[in-house]
Amino acid sequence: MTEPVIEPDIMRISWGPQHPMSGQTRIIIDVDGEKVHRIIADLGFTHRGIEKILEKRTFLQGIIPMERMVMADTPNIGLGYVMAVEEVLGIEVPERANWIRSLLCEMARINSHLYAFGLQAESTGYFPAVFLWTTIDRAVILDLFEELTGARWSLNFFMPGGVHNNLPEGFEDKVVKGAQYLRKRFEDYWEAMVENAVFEMRCNDVAVLKPEDAIRLGATGPVLRGSGVAMDVRKDEPYAAYADIDFEVVTESACDVMARTKVRYREIVQSLNMMEQIACEMPKGPIRKKVPLFARSKAGEALSRVETARGELGVHMFTDGGMNPYRVKINSPTLRNMYVFERLAELDELLVADVPVVINSIDPWYLDSDR
Amino acid sequence: MVSETPEEAFVESIKATYPDAIISAEVLRPKRVSVVVKRDHFLEIAKSLKDEFGFTHPVSGGALDYPRENRMRMIYYLMNPESRFMLTYGVDLSRDDLKLSSMTSVWEAISFHEREAHEMFGISFEGHPNMVPLLLPPDWKGGHPLRKDFKGEGVEE
Amino acid sequence: MDIFVAIWRLVYTCIYLPTDQILKWVGDLFDLSMDILFNLPAYTIEFLIVNTKPLLQVLILPGLAFILVFAIIAVWFERKFLARAMLRVGPYYCGKRSGVLQVFADFLKLFMKEIIVQEDIDFLFFAAMPVLVSTLPALALILIPFDQNWVLWNVGDLSMPMFFAIAGIAPLLPIFAGWASNNKYTFIGAFRVAYMYISAEIPLVICGASVAIMAGSFDLTKIVEAQRNMWFCIPQFIGFIIFFLGVIIEAERTPFDIPVAEVELVFGWRTEYSGILFGFTMMAEYVMFQAWALLFITMYLGGFNGPNFLGNPMYSHIFWLVTKFAILVVLIVLLRCVFPRLRIDQMLRLGWRYLTPLAVLNLVLVLAMKLLGVF
Repeated sequence: MTEPVIEPDIMRISWGPQHPMSGQTRIIIDVDGEKVHRIIADLGFTHRGIEKILEKRTFLQGIIPMERMVMADTPNIGLGYVMAVEEVLGIEVPERANWIRSLLCEMARINSHLYAFGLQAESTGYFPAVFLWTTIDRAVILDLFEELTGARWSLNFFMPGGVHNNLPEGFEDKVVKGAQYLRKRFEDYWEAMVENAVFEMRCNDVAVLKPEDAIRLGATGPVLRGSGVAMDVRKDEPYAAYADIDFEVVTESACDVMARTKVRYREIVQSLNMMEQIACEMPKGPIRKKVPLFARSKAGEALSRVETARGELGVHMFTDGGMNPYRVKINSPTLRNMYVFERLAELDELLVADVPVVINSIDPWYLDSDR
Repeated sequence: MVSETPEEAFVESIKATYPDAIISAEVLRPKRVSVVVKRDHFLEIAKSLKDEFGFTHPVSGGALDYPRENRMRMIYYLMNPESRFMLTYGVDLSRDDLKLSSMTSVWEAISFHEREAHEMFGISFEGHPNMVPLLLPPDWKGGHPLRKDFKGEGVEE
Repeated sequence: MDIFVAIWRLVYTCIYLPTDQILKWVGDLFDLSMDILFNLPAYTIEFLIVNTKPLLQVLILPGLAFILVFAIIAVWFERKFLARAMLRVGPYYCGKRSGVLQVFADFLKLFMKEIIVQEDIDFLFFAAMPVLVSTLPALALILIPFDQNWVLWNVGDLSMPMFFAIAGIAPLLPIFAGWASNNKYTFIGAFRVAYMYISAEIPLVICGASVAIMAGSFDLTKIVEAQRNMWFCIPQFIGFIIFFLGVIIEAERTPFDIPVAEVELVFGWRTEYSGILFGFTMMAEYVMFQAWALLFITMYLGGFNGPNFLGNPMYSHIFWLVTKFAILVVLIVLLRCVFPRLRIDQMLRLGWRYLTPLAVLNLVLVLAMKLLGVF
């Protein structure tokens, strides 16, 4: 990428790929002393061409490359693709399969938010105590995933027509027990981290994003809800079993980094409640509708929207009557939020020390924005 | 009388406002509306979508390649924060003349998506403030990857 | 006949006399060296007997052995303590399932590593700074009294100002190191060091002045003796808190390790160091901390005062000082587990807006107490 010219009296720091905390990206920070003058996001380090790959795979084969977009909550991503395929092929999913899908999606949401929570703590300099605690707590969920699907991160459990397998014996009890354990641990997190005096100093009133700006700049997910805008795909167009589950859209009105952290925290608590509710009220029935292995579709299009942990994912699938989709356009949540991040340097005064805190409050996953 | 859903209300009102510029405006299913317009009126209808119809929340933008019909279609995904349905706003371009005026003058956040469409398909957007490649590596040799006739020419052997 | 006399005189003065003198000198030198050689053991023993106390002080307490042993134990303790706070185990395999030898293993590894150096840096500054940064605080450390008669460098009335003077040079060294590394990250780290120390030194010096006023002297030994009845932390409570924060700031420990913020600037001014130079920069943190913590204990926590339960008062004094120091180390390592890092502007605000006026208030209170005759 050709970078803009450095202005006089400005120093250009590359918070770059060779950095202990940057992730798989390069953020170019132009600083004037300690104040940030401009941020440029240099994306594309992990571009794998997933959209092109999906054009060469059948509908069933396409789930695997699609899931590699975000590794922390693969059920949500897989669900987006599978719902688009089902709409194109005209398949209806049995009720129990929808409930199982919701269960896995909520567990993945907890997994991803715990990871983001730990990264947020580490970015403020909290020598990785909280990050290690969240890693240990995520093991509860990852063990449940492994028992159900055989894989910990990339589940590949959803398929057009339903889910692969039924829940094993006693799985619902394990889910409830896991949710209770996590809920107890979560009170510790609130006291140790969110009410920590120095953490509040680092996060309050940093990078304020007003609601009008959030809507105008296309923010999504906890970034949007942390600014007080209550947009959540699970409530706007309920998919899977969300129409029957009791939950609220979590918003905070403070619009700063602390608000986004609190949104994620409360979403985890709410997902724990949803997990218990689903495990107790799951209906019985078939889990899969038979779909031929190499299904052919009619010419048409389908756009599915799913609420992943980072925001809204859209999968727009165009078909022309073959076994592969003609084109799959993926609307990635992180790409939208990275634009908001670039503009935050102009909307609010940031110091160099704030940049890691802010970027981890946006919670990017660069494989998602680069596809 | 069956009350109108916001999607149908929108489709009727936009057909009434611009009767000759719109090629097709239809409700595909609940919460999905698709509007395809002619190229000359593209920018002014976009402005009115934002100002009058309230589509202030830009979601994404992407393109499609139909080489057999010698056209490409550029689609913008928009959302109205009040009525909460997704609008896909498309325009057809002929493959010989891939120029379009940029939507960044209307929705600022489309900037990244137009950069990606430019490097993946070759569509040039006039008036874009920062047209540099977004995802491809800096030593890319040429060729547009998401076109249907891309043979892998940008990669070094 | 005269010519022969003249020639003889010439030869005598120009050749014979100098050679004779030189030969006499050679003979004296020979006698002297034989004398030294045969009497060397006696000289050595006499040297050791005369200088035994300073030698012990330099080598063992509070000199080389104390500093190195503390650094080793502190590194091990900190790693284990932090690990337990994070639900990990810490160093486990080296040293029979307790990890005590891990520090030696790491030091040995660093010693054997290659020192990678950029082409276009000022190598003298670059390589000298880590060594200086870890040894200069040791020079300040030797002013601390461990007992009335056990001070390595006894400058009498100048000991507290001498400490501040030497420890005041310490901030310059990371600035030189950051500049000499020729790297944007280290540059910013060097600036942050400058900001931090400027704002922290002034409250500390004012607090030192108030302690000296209350004790009536700048001599650290007399300050400790003046705390025989009541430690100064009780009447000078504000100064106690300020100096406690100052110890953490000067030692660059979390929550004030802003110059070494790994998240933004890869490792601050230490980024470009590798191998044994890196080992020195790591040790520098502990030596600096040791110097300031011992000063803090001397000024506010009664120094080496404490009930005498070992036979010799000197032994119990040393025991009490080391015990207080150990408790302080545990407390400061605990603070590291619990708090994230402050931002540089928040730290400056803390130093200028809160610590400096409070230090002046403390000074005024001490003056009032002294004038009213309470102390």
